[in-house]
Amino acid sequence: MTASASPLLSLQGVTKRFGGVTAFADVTFDVDAGDVLGVIGPNGAGKTTLLNCISGVYRLDGGDITFNGQRLSGRPPHEVARLGVGRTFQVVKPFTSMTVRENAAVGALFGSSEARMPTGRAFAYADEVLELVGLAPKRMSPVGSLTVPDRKRLEVARALCTKPRLLLLDEVMAGLNAVEVDEALEMVRRVQKSGVTIMLIEHVMRVIVGVCTRALVLHLGRVLAMGEPQEVLRDQRVIEAYLGQEYARRQARHRRE
Amino acid sequence: MTTAEPGTQAPEGSFSVVTRASQRRERILFIAAGVALLILVLVPLTSLDAAQSAGLPLLADRYWFRIATTILMFVIVAGAWNIIGGLTGYPAFGNVVFFGVGAYTVGTLVTKANLPYALALPAGVLVAAAGAALIGLPLLRLRGHYFAVASLGVAVATGEVINNLQFFGGASGIFMPIIRSDLLFYFLMLGGAVGTVAITWAVLHSRFGFGLIAIREDEAAAAVIGVNTTLYKVAAYMLSAALTGFAGAVYAEWNVFIDQSTAFNLDISIDSILMALIGGIGTLFGPLIGAAVLEYLIQSFAGGGSLAAYTQVGLGVLLTVAVIFLPRGIVDFFGGRSSFSLRYLRRTMRETGV
Amino acid sequence: MAEQVVLGLLLGGIYVALGLGFSLVWGILNIVNLAYGALVMVAAYITWQLSTSFGLDPFVTIPVNLVALFVIGYAIQYLVINRIIRAPFLYTFLITFGLDLVVVNGLLLLFKADFRSVNTYYSGSSLTAGPLVIPYIRLWSLLVALALAGIMWWILNRTRTGDAIQAVGADKDAARLVGINLAHTYGLTFGLGAACAGVAGALIVTYQAITPSAGEPYTLQSFVVVILGGLGRVSATVIGGMLFGLIEVLGQAVPGVGAGYANAIAFGVLVLVLLLRPQGLMGRQTL
Repeated sequence: MTASASPLLSLQGVTKRFGGVTAFADVTFDVDAGDVLGVIGPNGAGKTTLLNCISGVYRLDGGDITFNGQRLSGRPPHEVARLGVGRTFQVVKPFTSMTVRENAAVGALFGSSEARMPTGRAFAYADEVLELVGLAPKRMSPVGSLTVPDRKRLEVARALCTKPRLLLLDEVMAGLNAVEVDEALEMVRRVQKSGVTIMLIEHVMRVIVGVCTRALVLHLGRVLAMGEPQEVLRDQRVIEAYLGQEYARRQARHRRE
Repeated sequence: MTTAEPGTQAPEGSFSVVTRASQRRERILFIAAGVALLILVLVPLTSLDAAQSAGLPLLADRYWFRIATTILMFVIVAGAWNIIGGLTGYPAFGNVVFFGVGAYTVGTLVTKANLPYALALPAGVLVAAAGAALIGLPLLRLRGHYFAVASLGVAVATGEVINNLQFFGGASGIFMPIIRSDLLFYFLMLGGAVGTVAITWAVLHSRFGFGLIAIREDEAAAAVIGVNTTLYKVAAYMLSAALTGFAGAVYAEWNVFIDQSTAFNLDISIDSILMALIGGIGTLFGPLIGAAVLEYLIQSFAGGGSLAAYTQVGLGVLLTVAVIFLPRGIVDFFGGRSSFSLRYLRRTMRETGV
Repeated sequence: MAEQVVLGLLLGGIYVALGLGFSLVWGILNIVNLAYGALVMVAAYITWQLSTSFGLDPFVTIPVNLVALFVIGYAIQYLVINRIIRAPFLYTFLITFGLDLVVVNGLLLLFKADFRSVNTYYSGSSLTAGPLVIPYIRLWSLLVALALAGIMWWILNRTRTGDAIQAVGADKDAARLVGINLAHTYGLTFGLGAACAGVAGALIVTYQAITPSAGEPYTLQSFVVVILGGLGRVSATVIGGMLFGLIEVLGQAVPGVGAGYANAIAFGVLVLVLLLRPQGLMGRQTL
């Protein structure tokens, strides 16, 4: 891990409130270029809200987000995308009247300042990306005919077509069976190899251990732990947050014995 | 009532726009439209004195001009609605406000500022577009029903305010200096109609068009892939308004007289939506076909007294039936594989029923 | 000023009755019913016919209106709107507009375009309380509207039918899974909404002459009332209706404004509320 260069994404004391409810407060962490950062945490920990803050869907109530040396906070979503941050949605949002290929191509028509291709090239690039995520055989199908895993792939493909430097994946593996998760892991590795930094939200621990270079645990709106995935998952506080204190105490006793 | 088995039901709002089938259909429609355009250019020329003295038959009398000009006007207005309502998915129910603004701009400039009509006409288009920017910035933050009725409200309120202001002639309206030329207004509307279709084609084949369709399908998803949604929506609204304003600006001089009930007539808004719907929302030629079919029917059955009421009842029934059986419009019905069949009708009903 | 406030609140009664049905259908079925004003006029003509033919008091015709409009509403929903209930909202919008054309022009063929009104022996009389003059008709209209609100609240919150309707409004698929007949419940909901229009129609004809096309403003006003109060709760509609009555009376009392600006005021308020507080003044829902 190269800690010398300045981080690609940096969050400093980020706070988000909804009315009187604080979603998270004072969240600070960095993501280095080339990393695959896994964000885990119990339901309601504020993981998706965090992605929404980075991608400009929500406004911050405090703190700062910088990406590649530029401030993200305060920018609308399309400007964040223009700077090179792509994202997927937990509940997939395909453009339903378009074909698979058209969906992906729209990403390349717009997207980061490196994308924004003319129509012809956008479709050619869409074909390349569909190949990468394994959707090439279905590129002419209408979205309505896709299975759930394929819809998630399409979501990733469209985001990739925007040529992002950072890709935010919101639970792209939820609801997939074991085989499909393996395929998806393979896809994430391919994407990482193509030079895209990834930050992903996941519940499936196998994913965190399988592809992530770092893991971050969000609990009750705070960063509970961050570091190597294996280490983080052994952390006493993390086990408590996930499985309850009683279980953690018994685990600890068990280990001592 | 049978329950539709899962998988057969289309996701909400999935009324298809650009598919390969629709492109094949489009090519046929292009040829048909070209032939129709040729006829529409040649037929009225038989009314020229030169043609008459050369012994050509008179194919276009005053009645013909009135009907044809009206239909062309609705081709513009329906096509203009299609840009904001069909492509962008913002169901503007008050587009007549731009028709009225275009008409009143021309009326005011010609009668108060003594501007020649040739200059007032483009001014009407510009003012309508500027009005759309003004209205659109706040209103396009609303969605669905809310946007629909807010836009309707702006139209009703604007018409009422103008009706109350003496500067705009108040309730007695504005009389324009008469320009006697059936050919002039006919060709202005024809030019506008061709322009509307050409602009729609250009939009559909551009980045701008893809951005609009992305906004219609899912605005949040469009934003995070880099579509400047506010800019695109306002631009689409302005384009729609400019075309509608053009129709209004031509109408003002053609009709010689404008007041609230003619220039801010809500039926223009509603009819244009019906036309786009019947022809095929979001398609290139749908609004054109819908306008031609519906306005021809309306004009054919036009009359006073109880005939008018029967016509309106018929229109209501037609609309209801069209919404139930042909939600994708005439263009789709005559196009795809299983179209023009009972199976087609059953399928569309299954997709939308309980 | 005090008199105008009282007049506004009395007028608000009508808007409460109008808003209740409109809000129910919109909130539960997600249908903005453009034929709503036409249904109000159907009811108004029933009242007019009954009172001119049989000399019935307009307030006595209310139960007849309730039943008649409920049946009409149920039939419209079950036979027509149910066919497209899952289509995008534009299609339900348009189908109700088609129904509006049919109903309005049907009334025109049946009753002609003449103005019709109902007069009672107490039409001109008023209750005088200090400086305030309160027309009896307005007072009774307000009481009827509030009673209607009470009944609607009871049906929606204290009966099995109400539970079914609320369940359908919350989640159609889940409601179907627990055994609720969707088609029937949609019909009931629309029927109840139409019944409210029935009451409103009877109240309106007591103080205003009607024509077949006089219903259109009521659709728009119902919309404003619902936006003002917020979607989905009886109490919100009551407050929205009262507030709208006040705004209308006070707005037109401003020098230089007058009745010519009635729609401009209503829609000005509508657009302002939509932009500043889209969930309505009393609403909890977000857009």
